[in-house]
Amino acid sequence: MGSPKVKVDYSKCGEKGKVDPRDCGKCLRVCDPAIFIMHEPVGVDQDYIDPQMWRITPVWLSLCTRCMKCVEVCPEKAITVD
Amino acid sequence: MNARNYSNELADSIQAREYLTEQWKNFEQVYIRKVMGISSIDLGYKLQMPIIGKVLRWQVEKMIHSDAKGRNPTRADGHFGQVIPLEDAKAILGNLAAEPIIENYCMCRWMQRGIKEACCINFGNLSGVIEKLPRFIPKNNVYKLDREEAIKRLEMHNRKGYVASVWFQPVPYINAICSCENPECGGMRLRNDFGLHTIYKAEYVVQIDAEACKGCALCVAKCQFGALRFIPSLKRVMVDAEKCWGCGVCRHMCRQDALKIVPREAVPAARGRF
Repeated sequence: MGSPKVKVDYSKCGEKGKVDPRDCGKCLRVCDPAIFIMHEPVGVDQDYIDPQMWRITPVWLSLCTRCMKCVEVCPEKAITVD
Repeated sequence: MNARNYSNELADSIQAREYLTEQWKNFEQVYIRKVMGISSIDLGYKLQMPIIGKVLRWQVEKMIHSDAKGRNPTRADGHFGQVIPLEDAKAILGNLAAEPIIENYCMCRWMQRGIKEACCINFGNLSGVIEKLPRFIPKNNVYKLDREEAIKRLEMHNRKGYVASVWFQPVPYINAICSCENPECGGMRLRNDFGLHTIYKAEYVVQIDAEACKGCALCVAKCQFGALRFIPSLKRVMVDAEKCWGCGVCRHMCRQDALKIVPREAVPAARGRF
């Protein structure tokens, strides 16, 4: 049994999308078990003292309850859960 | 409470400044970064895998507690903590903590919830490192604290329900007292959900005076660890010493003064279980 597969489409949210997760962050707060992490992308060249590019990664997948609240709350429909 | 663990001399001897700069510049990446080809993504599943899971757990515990030379700051080698009651935290801030003392945005709450809350009190070499990183500095720019102010702020966080914890960064150098929340705190997440020893329970547990308890159950709402529950037939609260972390936050709610912290060793259910 694997964990739920939660995916974030970075063409809609994050460094390539038009939404900055630092301003939105709705999924971070709606998730009871807090499975999402907001972080600077690894390997992206930017000011490492004051990074401006952020993305959200579902990290603690085994704790996901498939409640789908993140899918509903995302204004860009960037999150999928299966 | 070894004063040497807080000293600048110790910090210099283990090149703490360099370690901390590297660690805090990239701290939010810690779960994403691959360590020997494995990141923390879906750690729960990875730890469950036969053989690989066991090796991984052993490796991670070794990393968390590493006191070897050449520790890797980007994967937070040698970074772990312990919960402490308010009294102990005050003693640290009042005497042991090396100045300057600052209060900055909690990194865990930022990466887990996108919330900026100034509640992490850092001191010694770490203060100078964080000062240079704008995302951790509170908006009103008030972050430098004297000992008294630091104690006042800590007490406020503690009363709110946050759990005081003290951190090695890297072991044996101590330079932070956080006010943690479960499950946002990275340490508590790894400890409670995955059984990794990133944070230890306090040297104490809470005990309740059954006679004094009036059964208002206000304390139950403050416990971050589900260690308190209200028993309707007895009209009082019970403490599950096995679950109790000994942070003592529940005491702030008790008007009867029925909750006390006692040494962990004195309670059979909690003895030796940190």
